[in-house]
Amino acid sequence: MSSNAMAVEIEGLTKSFGNVHALRGLDLTVPAGQVTGFLGPNGSGKTTTIRILLGLLRSDGGRATVLGGDPWADAVRLHRSIAYVPGDVTLWHNLTGGEAIDILCRLSGPLDPRRKQQMLDRFELDPTKKARTYSKGNRQKVALVAALASDAELLLLDEPTSGLDPIMETAFTESIAEVKAQGRSVLLSSHIFAEVEKLADTVTIIRNGVTVETGSIAQLRQRLRTQVTAVLAGGSAALAAVDGVHDLVQVDGQTRFTVDEESLPAVLAQVARLQPRSLVANPPSLEELFLRHYGEELAAVNGADSNGRNGAQK
Amino acid sequence: MTTVAPRTRAAALALPTRGRPADTLAGLGAMVRFVVRRNRVRLAVWLVVLVGLFAYVGAYYKSLFTTQQALDDFAKVSDTPGIRALTGLAAAPNTLGGAVWTKVWMTCALALAFGVVFLVTRNGRADEEVGRTELLRSRELGLHAYPAASWLVCAVLSVLVGALIAVVSAASGLDPYGTGITGSLIVGASVTGVGLVGLGVGAVAGQVASTSRGANALGSAVLGVLYVMRMVGDLGDGRLTWASPVGWGQEMQPWGADRWWPFGLLVVLTVVLLALATVLEAHRDHGAGLMPQRPGPAGAPVRYATPLGLGLRLQRGPVVGWSVTVVLCGLLFGSVVHAMDNLLNDAGTPLPAILRGRGIDALMAVLAGMIALIVAVYAVQSATTLRADEASGLVETQLAGALSRWRWALQRLLIPAVGGAVLLAAGGALLGASYGATVHDGSWTGRMAVASLVYWPAVMVLVGVAVALFGWLPRVAIALTWGLLAALWFVMLIGDALHLPRWVLDVLPFSATPYMPLDPMRWTPVVVMTAVAALLVWVGVDRFARRDVVPG
Repeated sequence: MSSNAMAVEIEGLTKSFGNVHALRGLDLTVPAGQVTGFLGPNGSGKTTTIRILLGLLRSDGGRATVLGGDPWADAVRLHRSIAYVPGDVTLWHNLTGGEAIDILCRLSGPLDPRRKQQMLDRFELDPTKKARTYSKGNRQKVALVAALASDAELLLLDEPTSGLDPIMETAFTESIAEVKAQGRSVLLSSHIFAEVEKLADTVTIIRNGVTVETGSIAQLRQRLRTQVTAVLAGGSAALAAVDGVHDLVQVDGQTRFTVDEESLPAVLAQVARLQPRSLVANPPSLEELFLRHYGEELAAVNGADSNGRNGAQK
Repeated sequence: MTTVAPRTRAAALALPTRGRPADTLAGLGAMVRFVVRRNRVRLAVWLVVLVGLFAYVGAYYKSLFTTQQALDDFAKVSDTPGIRALTGLAAAPNTLGGAVWTKVWMTCALALAFGVVFLVTRNGRADEEVGRTELLRSRELGLHAYPAASWLVCAVLSVLVGALIAVVSAASGLDPYGTGITGSLIVGASVTGVGLVGLGVGAVAGQVASTSRGANALGSAVLGVLYVMRMVGDLGDGRLTWASPVGWGQEMQPWGADRWWPFGLLVVLTVVLLALATVLEAHRDHGAGLMPQRPGPAGAPVRYATPLGLGLRLQRGPVVGWSVTVVLCGLLFGSVVHAMDNLLNDAGTPLPAILRGRGIDALMAVLAGMIALIVAVYAVQSATTLRADEASGLVETQLAGALSRWRWALQRLLIPAVGGAVLLAAGGALLGASYGATVHDGSWTGRMAVASLVYWPAVMVLVGVAVALFGWLPRVAIALTWGLLAALWFVMLIGDALHLPRWVLDVLPFSATPYMPLDPMRWTPVVVMTAVAALLVWVGVDRFARRDVVPG
């Protein structure tokens, strides 16, 4: 077990359903003891990846290792050390939430009633209600309580906070921080950027079943530009010529532009000379990275499409 | 607003919660089109299969019985306890129409009634359960519009099936010369009538139960009870036949008494049941049944963490329901055997003592087969929950724990396997004990327990088929399993009319089983079927363990 520097290692994973290619060579690692964010738009293959990691689906190609084992062949043994929260929780209609939590916990290991109660309190869940009567958020809480009440080495969370209110999201953040402090590993699939930025050490972004970006949050931020909005008494014309300034526009008397990280000192010195009356600088966000990435991809795709159409017309 | 008098305003405020909502049928037309569009294949299949079945048997018998002598002979061989019990005997068994009636009327009428129950649930409780109705109701749609549309479509289906059967019957010349087409009209109307009662039963079941499974189970159970009531009535003095709407359909007696008025009874009962369903729907909340939700335990016992323990808990309702059914049927069947025997004697049938003994044995063998059929439905239903749990996503939740697919599947299959054996033995024993008590012969208990238990391999072959389909064709497994069971049932009932080779009929699980106590025990078919069942289960589970988990 000492060799497991990586809780999850995936290389070149492929999976097709008929002629739909869900994964086309995905790479992903979850370093042990860390939280890894897993971002991608709907239908990009996040859930398929997690279901392969659980041994529910069999990959067509590539390599996947979970806690040092094969997720398909060693599923039963590995699941003793894995807790899973599906994105869309299905429960037994005629059982109560409390019964479902006990069943899920005991399927992987012994039940710790004290931990269960602690999590029930934290997520304010009534365990005596029949699952049929739970809202989506409450069903999600059942799966979360069951996962967090265990001492699984690896948590696979597929959009775990969908349907939760902001207070419960805070409870979730707190819980994941505890899990991390205990040296356990988490794969957190999500499209809530703030949540991933707050919790994740590293992030992998996928699109159409392929990894398009991966790295620590700090590394990813370095590739982004700071967004600056200023009101400049000295006018903005002088900025256009400065190295590292991009997307310069003038809107309602405000000057807006983006700056590469390495050019920030020089640009700010220039801004200071232009007598700023107000200045707002926003650090790059994961969301921006995400949108930029997909925006560019989208533009490329559209471009290719219009080229194709033009070609067809000729 | 300021001009509104306080009292009027109070009344206006009270109205929405107290009064009846306006326009409860708004959107009916759109919903009728929706129901037809969504069920067009199902509706067409029911119509074609039922009418086709009647037309086929009609044409076949027309070519088979060319003389009155042939019909008279056929009527004589038809008058057995088994046929009286299973399908009922026509009022005029020695007419061409009567012969066809004996063969297919019960199948057509009951199949239509069951089909309508399933259709009503599919467009009623099932949609409400998963939230589709909620989406529809958020639009400009009256409270009763969707159910009314589904009822209307099912009623039209029943009428069409009956009308086409009447047309087919008249066209194939089933009416004796000189009687016009009265018998044909009556036979069509009687099928329609029983179908309509199925509609009423399904509508009420959909209001009482809060799940689609519950609604289908309740509706089927009611139809099953009505069938058994008429069966007991037909074997005995006929009083219970008149207590059952299925019996009313029989008692319309096409080509016999040619009665119209029981059709009136059937229609009135349907209207009453639909009215009851409407009232129930108007007085309950969307998504609720009659039974309110109560808080349950906050924790689960350790046994729920095993597939067997959890499966037993989840199938508690069906297991209890089927057990009660089997126990009641065993007792009921056993209690009428003696009366049937007396009836044969009263009729002055000149049977020597030894032959009469054979008559009882034959009747008991039929009844043991009936118990086995009920147990088969229980076992297959339990086996199809493997796929049902996979389709709903429940199996993923369990397999994400430290649980192998083999262990999950095999433990779950203990429920149909062990449960089936227990129910067979218990049903047979009660049948024997109940008859034995009337003739003061305790040895019947053990004999019938064995006669019924010997069907276990046949039941397990059906379970094996369900498991193999679950493994290899998960998406269509449930539909195919029930389709095959229905086909088996059809072939057993009318197999000889289908020109199927003898060996095909003999190889069917139920026909291959020794027909005890009439026939002696034979081990070969029992051992072979057990092996086939084990192989099918292995093939199915092995495939499941190697394939992707496929949600529905």
